[in-house]
Amino acid sequence: MNISKIANLKYFYKHTENVTKTLSFITFFLFIAGIFWGLYIAPKDYLQGDSYRIIYLHVPAAWMSLQVYIVMAVTGFIALVWKIKIMEIISIQSASIGAYFTLIALVTGMIWGKPTWGTYWVWDARLTSELILLFLYIGVIVIYSSFSDKRQGAKISALLAIVGLINIPIIHYSVEWWNTLHQGPTVTKFEKPSAHITMLAPLLYMLLVFNLYFVTVLIKRVRLGIFQREKNTKWMENYLND
Amino acid sequence: MNSIIFKKEIYTYFRSMNYIFLPLIFFFLVISIFPLVIGPNKSLITKIIPGIIWITMIFTTLINSVNFFKDDYNNGVIEMYLTSEKSIEYILFLKIIICWFFTIFPIIIFIPIVSIMFNISLHILTAIFLTLLLGSPILVAIGIFGSALTIGISRNNILGPIITVPFYIPVLIFSASAIESVSNGLPNDLQIYVLLSILLLVLPTMPYLLKYTLRISINN
Repeated sequence: MNISKIANLKYFYKHTENVTKTLSFITFFLFIAGIFWGLYIAPKDYLQGDSYRIIYLHVPAAWMSLQVYIVMAVTGFIALVWKIKIMEIISIQSASIGAYFTLIALVTGMIWGKPTWGTYWVWDARLTSELILLFLYIGVIVIYSSFSDKRQGAKISALLAIVGLINIPIIHYSVEWWNTLHQGPTVTKFEKPSAHITMLAPLLYMLLVFNLYFVTVLIKRVRLGIFQREKNTKWMENYLND
Repeated sequence: MNSIIFKKEIYTYFRSMNYIFLPLIFFFLVISIFPLVIGPNKSLITKIIPGIIWITMIFTTLINSVNFFKDDYNNGVIEMYLTSEKSIEYILFLKIIICWFFTIFPIIIFIPIVSIMFNISLHILTAIFLTLLLGSPILVAIGIFGSALTIGISRNNILGPIITVPFYIPVLIFSASAIESVSNGLPNDLQIYVLLSILLLVLPTMPYLLKYTLRISINN
């Protein structure tokens, strides 16, 4: 398959309709399976009891919030440099998905924080950086929506996303900069994992499912973005009439 | 040519002294409002005054730089700069430095007066002074970047700050940590060097970023 063909808005819109349906079904069932695995099959934590199980939503959401930002910035960079229309749409559409992931990570983190730390919110480095990440996402979304010329808005918000990528390393290294309440990373320590494999496996599985979910929703939203941008063109009219 | 632009920038500030005095007055006004809200508890105010100074500095730079390019944009001067043969990076660099020098630098000079009003000890004052000296040019540069991003939007008074504030956070963290180290009797070399490195990173790269942003904003 030719990449330049997929980058064509018309080609993309016509050929992804069935793909999204299949992907939605697959994601839904895999997600149900992952929830079942995490909530029933995975063993109880000796310290936190059952309350740790929210990790299966919290950690993948937090991970995705960073990953989607990188996707947004990289596609924005491609859109700015090579002026590919579909990349502009991907960049701006992943902004709102990423904002939702960040919100999920924050809310589940707060719910998790109540039984383990005794408070919903602590002003420690990671929570604060996640909040700042949410503000960065909101900035990108808001600046896009304030432009009446959507092409220019997409360019400006892509530029903002690229510059905002500076914030990502700060989020990652903030754990080492400040010694605070939040526990250090448990997943990335491969030489001596602090989580047991029976707990870790569902987590990595959920991460994959979240990735799949992101791709599915992204394709759907990109289709919507293409529709909004091209709704007055001839081919869209013909396609919708068929 | 360069000296003409340099003189033009300086004259715009000198023609109306408001450009110089208004940020200063705003800064002192906001600083003196804080005790009214917090209460006249002297030890509490002395403890949190470095943070208050920094927050007020952020407000001042934000309000100061929201409409930084507005006049030049409406007059078409930016198009002139972008199409001229002279390097616009140089002009933008001058604009950042001169804006900082005439609006923010007077505030930093007057910080010792604030320290008398709020009973700040000398070594903390030195730390505040140093962090402001290194940090405020970064704030100004990033604020100008925010105003360049929102140049094409007609009502951007709130939008610019929303976009800009998240980028201020590294500067804030290191300045606050530098002041806190001093007040705990620890050395703050690390934080000062980090601030200096951010400054040396932001100042030379910002004109290029601004040029690119202005190009996108104007080519529509």
